[in-house]
Amino acid sequence: MLTRRHFLSGTGAGLFLSGYPVHGFTKEVVSGRIVVLLLEGGMDGLLAVPPIGDDNLLKQRKALVASKALKINPLFALHPNFKTFSKMLANEEASIIHATSFPYTGRSHFEGQNVLQGGLLNPFSSKTGWLGRAMGIAKITGKAMSLQAPLIIRGATDYDNFYPEHLRNAELPSAEVLKLIQDTHEGSIARAIDKLRRSPKSMGGRRGSARDPLSLASEAGRSLREVDGPKVAVITIPQFDDHAEIGSDTGHHPELFTLIDNAFENLRNNLKEQWANTIVLTMTEFGRTVKENGSAGTDHGYGSVGLLAGGLIKRSSVIANWPGLSTSELYEKRDLYATIDYRSVCAACIEAAFGLDHDLIAEEIFQDKNIPRAYTHIFG
Amino acid sequence: MYDNRHQWARKIGFGFGPETDLPSSLEMWNHNQLNNKFSVIGVSNRGAEPILWPSEYKYSLEDRIKRADVYTREKDDIKKSKTIKKEDKKRLITKVRNETDVSKLDIYRFWNSAIYGEDMVQQRLTHFWTNHFTVGGSGRRNFVLGDFIYRVIHGNLKSSFDQLLYEVTTHIGMLDYLDNADSVGEKSKAFYFAQKRGKTVGLNDNLGRELLELHTVSLARGYTEKDIRGAAKVLAGWGVNADAVIRKYKQERKNKPGWPVSLADFIAEPYFRDRAEPGYKNVLGQKFPAGSKALRKLTDMLASDDHTARYLSKKLALHFIGEGATDEEIKIIYGAWKKSKGDLNKVHKATLEVIKNTRSKKFLWPTTWMFQAIRISGADMMPGFSTEFAKKSDLSNEPREILKELGNSFWTQRQPDGYSEIKENWISTEHLDRRIKMASKIFSAKPKRSGEEIAEILDFSDKSKRSIKMAPDERAKFIIALCSADFMEV
Repeated sequence: MLTRRHFLSGTGAGLFLSGYPVHGFTKEVVSGRIVVLLLEGGMDGLLAVPPIGDDNLLKQRKALVASKALKINPLFALHPNFKTFSKMLANEEASIIHATSFPYTGRSHFEGQNVLQGGLLNPFSSKTGWLGRAMGIAKITGKAMSLQAPLIIRGATDYDNFYPEHLRNAELPSAEVLKLIQDTHEGSIARAIDKLRRSPKSMGGRRGSARDPLSLASEAGRSLREVDGPKVAVITIPQFDDHAEIGSDTGHHPELFTLIDNAFENLRNNLKEQWANTIVLTMTEFGRTVKENGSAGTDHGYGSVGLLAGGLIKRSSVIANWPGLSTSELYEKRDLYATIDYRSVCAACIEAAFGLDHDLIAEEIFQDKNIPRAYTHIFG
Repeated sequence: MYDNRHQWARKIGFGFGPETDLPSSLEMWNHNQLNNKFSVIGVSNRGAEPILWPSEYKYSLEDRIKRADVYTREKDDIKKSKTIKKEDKKRLITKVRNETDVSKLDIYRFWNSAIYGEDMVQQRLTHFWTNHFTVGGSGRRNFVLGDFIYRVIHGNLKSSFDQLLYEVTTHIGMLDYLDNADSVGEKSKAFYFAQKRGKTVGLNDNLGRELLELHTVSLARGYTEKDIRGAAKVLAGWGVNADAVIRKYKQERKNKPGWPVSLADFIAEPYFRDRAEPGYKNVLGQKFPAGSKALRKLTDMLASDDHTARYLSKKLALHFIGEGATDEEIKIIYGAWKKSKGDLNKVHKATLEVIKNTRSKKFLWPTTWMFQAIRISGADMMPGFSTEFAKKSDLSNEPREILKELGNSFWTQRQPDGYSEIKENWISTEHLDRRIKMASKIFSAKPKRSGEEIAEILDFSDKSKRSIKMAPDERAKFIIALCSADFMEV
């Protein structure tokens, strides 16, 4: 991972981040929404957003490049399965951050996911997540669209989760009985049962509802649309951990791209007027090797890509400090170098949606005051 | 805890049911639990007395592989058929699946063993090691998962870690799950021929990476990408996907006239010399020669590594003792591991000894909690297995669905790090909603012990007893007992 100095001095074909912290910057009204799409397993960023203008792409990759990628600018294109996202780009409501990652180079899914969600550089060092800490400071609520409450959202004073159950012939007892159960517990369990008691899961006809990522994206959109509803949603899209035959035009990874694309669409359609106040961002624990591994797949790497969409973006762009793809330009001669610290992207999203000061975000949420401010490049 | 036999049986097993005679000597019981060979039992009809598990429901790996082959071929035929109507295809494929896939019965066995089995400690250990060596379920892998759990994991509980590791690593389920079936050595004959045909093949490091990170030495060992590549090279040539074994076997026989290997031998050692990487490989400073024997050398080396002993001692402590396990407690398990060189029986015995004196509590996995609730209450939750084989599809699918609902099934696709041992990862409104509803469901299955009786035998705290007492009816008392802090943590 490049230091701040490198970050600011880089050159390349994309837009460069060059912002400086603006002390005391806050918005008066916190009205934004953040939706995080957790792409679990490590998305191949070069397949999603191929740098077609880099001559080394096809020298390094023989097959894993989409044949009909949608050209964005002379350097970058978009996998054709991102149909909705490409329209969002054209409508000035989406941006791409390329050659980016959290500063984690260990290539372990589980450490990487922990760093990505915890937001601290030392794996497994935090019991709360960066988004949860941000929610705590901004005093807002959120919802994880999963059975678990993922690390990323923990730390908030108020959060819930949503994942409709399909148990047959099973009823939740009365609030009175739930209170008696709650009384036997302490800490997070007592808090969770308290929440369950106040808003039982069996309400609202949720039983038997679909729980695939797209249905959950629709539900997240509906929830976030409510004036007094949550302001944050986290949706997990699993199974990017695919090392063989991942596909270029068709196949498993392209199918997952369609899933992401449809998730963006469902969120926009269900957020309706609140889409204007929303930022949706993808996150993945690492990118993939630049070269194919031989079984038509790619292995654990470093730099990847982040996709951002939502009405909070006013001008679409591809933001990159392109490191190049010749072998000597790769991280350890195998991976796309990450030249943009994705924490700065997350920080910018928090700043845009919740109005928190960048320095506060850097120091209190990511516990690293040297994170560059990217706000003006993404939302300016 | 050791003073209360019910609690002890919960800490290391699933607890004693209402009709079970409590052991007169816990020391003897502990010994027997670890050392005896027990029969598999289950109920043929809901509420019936458990009987021996039918031998025809114990499937060999060879049988499972043949079934996967039949399913794959018939499914493909149906898909390609121009005479079968489109709307009938899905129904017919489901029918073939029900006739060939035995995972539904594997899951019945899983439930029956936990609820009625006399070997509750061995079952808990089986769950622990099955999770440690996660093989995610999928359409084709579900055919072989039962073999992985019952023959390889359960069958090696009294063996040594190096033996377990080797058998796990070479099992078709694992080789399939972590993509090793697609890995081709980059100096192998298969690589050369593929290149000539313009086809891209090569090394896949997924299993090599997880063998180091998750199964043995862990990241604490400080290995490099070169070590991972070295392990992947040793592994190259091993594996075939579960639904392609018969096809590959027939191909091998055709290509190699006089090939003496039987199908059973082939399945036991699914190794393809033409995909294997020739020459020496390096892993963690050790050299490994060409050939199939190198893998055993590699797994033996990893099994005997000090970091493996440290990593697994801690993991065992986390699973049975909980996050409050002390360094001293972990050190005792580690000491037993080192002294016995990974003799699992001795390691498990040392773990039990440590648990006897611990004060820490473990927040139970949802399935462990559920099986304990059913077993201790004596509820008749389990549908019987007596349905004729030809009508196996009539067996209720609910046991599979419940495991999935609880987010704790070994028969679902998941990440290779397995289910978490950390309490906070199991706490959410959705998780608790399911547990509370499940407790209500168990009450509907006519438990023989009431909530108050459960609280009494398990020495619940005054706080929990007070809540139970205040409940408006028997169902509520039962639900509160099972969902109290005293029952969820032991």
